[in-house]
Amino acid sequence: MEVKILSAKFHIDNANTLAVAISHGAYSTLDKLFAMQPAEVIEEVKKSGLRGRGGAGFPAGMKWGFLPKNTGKPVYLAVNSDESEPATFKDRYILVKDPHMLIEGIIICSYAIDCHDAYIYIRGEYTTQVKILQAAIDEAYAAGYLGASIAGRDFKLDVTIHRGAGAYICGEETALLESIEGQKGQPRSKPPFPAVAGLYGCPTIINNVQTIASLPFIITNGADAYKAHGTEKSPGTHLFGISGHVEKPGMYELPLGLPILEVIDKMAGGVWKGRKLKGIIPGGSSTPVLLPEEAKDVTLDYESMAAHKTMFGSGGIVVLDETVDIVQLVENLISFYHHESCGQCTPCREGLGWMLKIVQKILRGEGVIEDVLLLRELCDNIEMKTVCVLSAACTMPVRSYLDKFRQEFLAYVPTASPAAQEKQE
Amino acid sequence: MADKIKLFVNGVEVEVEAGKNLIDAIGAVGIEIPHFCYHPALGSDGNCRMCLVGIEDGRPPLVPACKTPAQAGMKVLLDAAHIKKIQHDVMELELINHPIDCPICDQAGECKLQDFYMSYDKQPSRMTVAQVKKGKKLDYGCGIVHDQERCVLCARCVRFCRQITKTGELGIVNRSDAAQVEFFPGRPINNRYAQNIVDLCPVGAMTSADFRFKQRVWFLKRAKGICHGCAKGCNITIEHNREKYQEDRIYRFLPRLNPQVNGYFICDKGRYSYHKENEGRLTVARQGSQVRNQADALAACNQEISRSPKIAMILSPNCSLEEMVAVKSLAEKLGATLSGFSDGYISAGDGDGYLIQDDKSANRAGLGILGINSNRAVFEKDLGEAQLLVNFNNDLTRSYTEPELRALLKDTKMILAASHDDGLAAMAAIAIPIAAASEYSGSLVNCDNILQSFTKAVSKNHDPVDIGTLAAQLGSPLQTRAEQFSELRKYLSVLKNFEADTLPAEGLKLTDNEATHVTA
Repeated sequence: MEVKILSAKFHIDNANTLAVAISHGAYSTLDKLFAMQPAEVIEEVKKSGLRGRGGAGFPAGMKWGFLPKNTGKPVYLAVNSDESEPATFKDRYILVKDPHMLIEGIIICSYAIDCHDAYIYIRGEYTTQVKILQAAIDEAYAAGYLGASIAGRDFKLDVTIHRGAGAYICGEETALLESIEGQKGQPRSKPPFPAVAGLYGCPTIINNVQTIASLPFIITNGADAYKAHGTEKSPGTHLFGISGHVEKPGMYELPLGLPILEVIDKMAGGVWKGRKLKGIIPGGSSTPVLLPEEAKDVTLDYESMAAHKTMFGSGGIVVLDETVDIVQLVENLISFYHHESCGQCTPCREGLGWMLKIVQKILRGEGVIEDVLLLRELCDNIEMKTVCVLSAACTMPVRSYLDKFRQEFLAYVPTASPAAQEKQE
Repeated sequence: MADKIKLFVNGVEVEVEAGKNLIDAIGAVGIEIPHFCYHPALGSDGNCRMCLVGIEDGRPPLVPACKTPAQAGMKVLLDAAHIKKIQHDVMELELINHPIDCPICDQAGECKLQDFYMSYDKQPSRMTVAQVKKGKKLDYGCGIVHDQERCVLCARCVRFCRQITKTGELGIVNRSDAAQVEFFPGRPINNRYAQNIVDLCPVGAMTSADFRFKQRVWFLKRAKGICHGCAKGCNITIEHNREKYQEDRIYRFLPRLNPQVNGYFICDKGRYSYHKENEGRLTVARQGSQVRNQADALAACNQEISRSPKIAMILSPNCSLEEMVAVKSLAEKLGATLSGFSDGYISAGDGDGYLIQDDKSANRAGLGILGINSNRAVFEKDLGEAQLLVNFNNDLTRSYTEPELRALLKDTKMILAASHDDGLAAMAAIAIPIAAASEYSGSLVNCDNILQSFTKAVSKNHDPVDIGTLAAQLGSPLQTRAEQFSELRKYLSVLKNFEADTLPAEGLKLTDNEATHVTA
C-alpha cells in the first residue's frame, strides 16, 4: 500500500545532512527547474493536481496563479510548519528526516512565483526539528543552494526560519503572517487574501511543508508521474499519521483514495487488543468523527470525506476503541480549542469557554438535558460567525459527537425530566 | 459633495454616499447596523461580529458590514431571520461573562451593550455555569478607571493609542476568554488625549475618574459649545445639570464631531477646563472691598469713565467677535485706546501639531480681523498715559507678575469685568462679574481661520452678562447682538449671507483676504 515519494529517504541514516541527501538525489531537480520558465513550473504543478496538504486541500498551482502581476512589490513565500493540530505529526518527519527535500521544494516554488525571501514558520515546540532544519539550511547556504546565486544561476533566495511561540492559531495563514511581522498572532479578515496582500502588505504564497516537499518529485518526474498515484481529483500521496487505539501507530505514506478501514487494518494493525472500533477521527482533531458503519465506504481522499460530511484535514487519523468515553473526549477537545482561541472575536472567545464549562458540568453529573441541547445549539451559533475557522474546528467535531453519540451525553445527565426528554426527542 | 449610489436594504432601495462602508453608508439614512468595534475614526477591526449582514450576490453568506464597502445595486439583508438570529447569538455571547450590574454601572444610559440587548436580544440568560471573573476598578492612568469584567474586547482603546496618539500604551493580553486589555507593567496610559478612550468605549469598561458616579447621564442637559482652552476651537458638548436648590453646574465636556476642526476628539486639558467654568467665579460686583449691586457698580463705572480724561481699554483674546466689536465701538466712542495684548496666553512649545496649540486663547485671530493692536509696548505706553484702565476679562497675571503689574498700573485705576475672582480682581477699583464661555453666545475664529459660533449653555443663578452686553451698558453704540453682528459684516464679508446663530455647524472657513490680519 505504501508509496515512497515524500518518505523515500526517511529510512536512510543521516539523510538530513547535505552529503547524504545529495548522494540520494537531493537538488538534482535544479538543472531541469532553471531550464523551465516560471510559468511552465506553475503549469506543471497545476497539471499534477497537487492540493494543499495543510488541511484545506486547495489546489497549489491555482493558488500560485492568484498572485497579481507586476505590482512592483516583492513576493514572499511562507512555509507553514506550525503543525499544532492534535493528532497531526506528519511535517515533523519531513523536517527531521529529509529537510533538504523541503529546501529544494522551496527553491522550486520560489522560482515559480519569483520570490526571493522565503520564511519557514515553525511550531515553537519543535525544538529538535528547528535545529535540524537550521543545520540543513546552513549547509544549503554553504553549498550555494541558497543565497545570492542558487546553484550558480542568476536567482537569489534567502530562507529564514521563524519560530512560533506556541499558539495553534498561528497555523492559520493570516495569523502566521501577523506573527512573522511581530504582531500578536491573530487572523486577518479576508479579503484581501495573502496572495494579494500578505506579508508586509506584499503578495504572499503560504503553503504547508508537505505541499512544498512534494514539488521535487513533480518537477523531476513530471505531473503525470505524480498523478499516477491517488485519485483523479485527489492525486498523489499523503503522509498519514495514524494514532490512537491501533496496534501499530505511526506515519505512513500512502496514495490517496485507499479505504480507511483497510488502511487501519493493514498498515496500523487494526484496533488494538482486539477491541471493537467505536469511531474514527479521519484528519486531525478538527474533523467530524466517523462511525464504524459510516467508515465502511470512506476512502482517504478529499471527495469521499466531504461526501461523508467530514474532512480529509491533515491526514491525522485517530482510532477510537470501544473504551473511549466520548464526553471526556469532547471535554478534552473543547479544552484545547478554548485554550488556543486567540480571543480576537466574540463568538470564539466567549463561546468556546461556555461550551467547555457546560461539558464539564455534564461530566460532573450536574448537567440537565437542556445543557446537552444547549451545547449542540452553541455549535451552530458559534460556527462560521468568526474571523477565522478556529472555532469551527471545534464546533464541527463536537457537533458530530453530539449527534452520533447523544446517548453517552445523556447518560451523564442524572435527573432528566420527562419534559426535557420529550424536548430532546 | 460625495457621489451617491443606490442599493437595496431589506429589499427597499436607498440612496447612500459612495465610498463608505455599509455601517456608515446605511447609517446615514437612518438604518442601524449594530456594532461595537467599528468606529469611523479608528477604522474597522471586525472583532465584535455584531455587524454581520447578508449580501445577496453570491459572496459568502455573512460579511462584516464594517469591512464591506457600499456598492451600487448591492442587496443588503438585515431583517432576514438568520441575520436576526446572528445578532441575538452574538449578543448572548457578549453577555455571558459580562456582569449585569447596569443599575450601578456608570455607563448606564449610554451603554451600547444595553442598547443592543434591548434592540436585538431581550432574552433571559441561559448561562448556568460560572462566569469568567476579571479585574475591577483598575487605575489605567490619566484618570481612566478600567473594569475588565465589562470589557467586550472591541479594542477601540488599543487602536486609539496606536493610531491616534501613537503612544501605544494598551494591548490585549492572554487568549480566549482570559483576554483582557492591559498596559505594560509600570507604564500606564500617558498621553494628553487619554480621556477620549472613555468616550470610545462602547460599554462601561473604561470610565473617567473625574466623572464616575457624579451624575446619571439622563439627568444631564446638553448644549453645543466651543472649547476655549486653546486656539483650535474644538467642538464640544457641554453637559450640565441644575440640581434642586443648587447652581447650574457643568459635569463634563465631551468632544463633538467636526471633521473640519477636531474630528472626533478633544485634548484632556480642554476637556477638564469645564472645572474652571464652575469654580472660583466672581459672582457679585465689588467696589474696592465693598459688595455692590450690579446697577450701583455700573453707575460707579460710568462715573469713573466720565471723569477720566484718558482711558485705556484691554480685552481678552477669549472674547467673542461680537464682544470685541462692541468693546471696540465703545473705545472709539470714548476716545479710549484699545489693546488685545495677551502674550501670557501663549505657551510656547506646548502645541503638538495635532489639536493642542501653543496659543491658549480662543479668538486671537479675531483681534487681528478687527484690527485691535496686541503689541506689548503699545499697551504699556497707553496704560502709562491713562488714568483709567478698563479691563474686559484679560487675565494680565498671565503676562505680568503681580509686582510688575502694580508697577505698571501705579496710580491708574482699574475697572475689571471678570468671570473669575482671582488676584487681578483684588487689584481692581471696581470688579463686575461677567459670563464665562459656557454662559453666553458668540462667534470665534480659530487658528485655522475657521469662524465658528457657540450658544449659551448654562444659566447661573447670578445671571452674569457677557462683555458685549456690559459694553452696551457702558455706552457702546452697539446695543444689541444683532447690531454687533451687523457691524462684524463690515470686517467679514463672508457673513453677509448669515445672521447671528445661523453659521454652519462645521464653521466657515475664512478666505485668505478675510484672514489677512490674523496674527496667531
